[in-house]
Amino acid sequence: MSEASTAPPKIEIHGVTKVYADGRVQALAGVDLTIDAGEFVAITGPSGCGKSTLLGLLAALDTPTAGVIRVGSYTLDRLRDANRFRRQEVGLVFQFHNLLPRLSALHNVEIAMLGSTRPHAARTEFALGLLDEVGLGHLTDRRPPQLSGGERQRVAVARALANEPSVIFADEPTGSLDSHSTDVVLRLFQRLRTDHGVTIVMVTHDEAVAAIADRTVHMLDGRIAPEGAPA
Amino acid sequence: MLTLVGADIWAKRARSAGIAFAVALAVMTVVTLTVVSSGLETAATAVLTVGKADFTVAQNGVSDLLYSNIDTGQLAQIGATPGVKSSVGVLLETEHLSAADPLFIEIGIQPDDLATFGVTVVAGTAYGATASNEVMLGWRAAQNLGLHVGDTFHANGTANRVVGIYSTGISYGDSAAMFPLPALQAYNRVPGSVSLVFVKVGPGQSSARVQRTLTANQPELTTISTLAQAGRADRNLVYLKAAVTGSTILAVVIGAIVVGNTMLLSLFERTREFGLLRAIGWGRRRVVWLVVSESLVLALVGSGLGIGLSFLVTTVLEALPQLNGVLHSNFTSGAFWHGLAVGIGMAVLGSLYPSIRAANLTPLKALSNE
Repeated sequence: MSEASTAPPKIEIHGVTKVYADGRVQALAGVDLTIDAGEFVAITGPSGCGKSTLLGLLAALDTPTAGVIRVGSYTLDRLRDANRFRRQEVGLVFQFHNLLPRLSALHNVEIAMLGSTRPHAARTEFALGLLDEVGLGHLTDRRPPQLSGGERQRVAVARALANEPSVIFADEPTGSLDSHSTDVVLRLFQRLRTDHGVTIVMVTHDEAVAAIADRTVHMLDGRIAPEGAPA
Repeated sequence: MLTLVGADIWAKRARSAGIAFAVALAVMTVVTLTVVSSGLETAATAVLTVGKADFTVAQNGVSDLLYSNIDTGQLAQIGATPGVKSSVGVLLETEHLSAADPLFIEIGIQPDDLATFGVTVVAGTAYGATASNEVMLGWRAAQNLGLHVGDTFHANGTANRVVGIYSTGISYGDSAAMFPLPALQAYNRVPGSVSLVFVKVGPGQSSARVQRTLTANQPELTTISTLAQAGRADRNLVYLKAAVTGSTILAVVIGAIVVGNTMLLSLFERTREFGLLRAIGWGRRRVVWLVVSESLVLALVGSGLGIGLSFLVTTVLEALPQLNGVLHSNFTSGAFWHGLAVGIGMAVLGSLYPSIRAANLTPLKALSNE
C-alpha cells in the first residue's frame, strides 16, 4: 500500500449493494472500500462471496443496486458513456484470456485501441511495444490457438494496457495457468505497478497469488471481512 | 476493423459463401429482369428516334405503341395545329421473317415525307407513292438479309422488289424496311390509319406549348418528346416496369431475410466476442458497424457475382430458339447500379436487427455465455 501517498484515493466504494433482478440473491451487502492510486490490491474469498460481482461494478460492466463507486474522477452511477470510461480508464484481464481466436496477437491488442485518436501506424507501433514489454515481441503474428495459456494471458495483459489505463481490473488472471505462467503474469503485474504506476485490483481465490499484492481484502457473504477474520 | 471483418468472414467460409451466393442469386434475378425490360423498352421506343422530330404523337392509353391508331382526320388536325411546321404520319407493323428475325419492323411512309423523316436513299431510288410491290431496305437490314437493289424481298405474303437502300443514321431504322404508306395499310387492312405522327415545330415555337395545344384539342392523343415519356405512354412497358419494381422489392426482402437469419445465427455463436468488444470499450455504433460491414463485404462480393451471372444468363436466354430475336438485353450502367443497390439493400436490411442485438448485449452476460 502506498502509505506515504497524499493523492486522493483512486477508488472509493461506499455502501455498495447488488441484488439480482429476482431479488432473491444479494451478491453484495453494503461494501465499503478505499484503494489508493498505484496500489495493488487482491480481493480474495470463497466462491460466491461477491468478489467478481464487485469487480464487474468497478469496471462499469454492471450497475450497483445501491451505493456509490468512484474511480478517479468518475462517479460510476453518473456515467454518461460507460464505454468511454472502460476504453480510457480501465484495462480488463479475465480468467479465460478472451482473445479473438481469428486474430493475431498484434491485432488482438490493436482492436482495443480502435476509437482512440492514435493514427493506425502509431497504434501498431504501440501494440508491438506492449507485446515486447510482456515478452511476446517474437510472437506478434501468432494467433491464440498457436500460443500457450501463459502467452495468451500475457497478450490479454498487453491488450488491457493498450489505452494506457490508470486501473487494471483482473478477474482470476492466473486461474487457468500453470505455476510457471502464474509466476510470469504476477511479475508482470508487479512491474506494471512499479514502472507505470497503474492501480491494480485483482480478484483471486488463491491466497498464494494474493500474497504478491500490497494489500489483501477478504470478502465473505457479499461483505468485506474485518481484518484478522478467518479467510 | 477491416482485419477483424476479413478474419470473421474467412473463419466461416462456408456460411459467408452461402450469404454471398444468396445475394448473387437475388442480384442476378433483378439485373436480368432490368436489362431485359430495358432492352424491350429500347426496342419499343427506338422507332421514336428514327423520325428526328421535336415530338411524336400517339394514341392515348394504348398497350403498345405499335398498336397506336391515328386516322386521316386526326392526322390533318395535327398538321393544322398552330406552331406545327411539319407532321409525318407513319404506320408501323412487325413481320415474322424467320426464327432469327421474328419481329422485323416495317414502316409505311409516303415518299414525299422521307426527307423530313430523316431518310437518305444511299442506293437505287425511293419507291413510288402508290407502288404496290416496291420496298426500300435499311442498309443494315439489307446487309443482314443479303439483299441488294433489284432483289426480291418476301413480306406480307407478297414479293416486293427492292428499289432502294436507305440510311437514317439510327440503328433501329436502318434495320427495318419501308413501304409506300397505302401499300402497307392495304397489306395490314388498316386503310387511312397511321401508328405515330412525327411533328416538327416552326422556328421560334415552343415544343411544349404546341404539345399542350395539341392534346387539349385532341385529348384522345398523347405526345411524346422523351424516351421516358414513351415508356409511360406504352402500357405494356408500364406493366413491365411495375413487374421489375415488384420483383426487386421481393428480392430485397427475401434476400434480407436470408442474410438476417444467417447473421443472427452468427451472432449467437459470437456472443462472447461481442461481449468482450463491449467490455473493452467498444461503443454500440462500432459494434453495429462491425456486423453491417461484414454483411456489406459479402453483399459486394455477391453483387459482383450476381451481375456476372446475369451476363451469362441473358446470353443463354438470347441464344434460345424461342427467344432469339425477341429478347434484347441492354446492359447499362443503370442496371449495374441497380444490382449493386439491391445487394447493398439486402445486406443493410438483413444485418440491421442482428447488429442492433449485438450492440445491445450486456457485456457481463455476454462474456458468461458458453
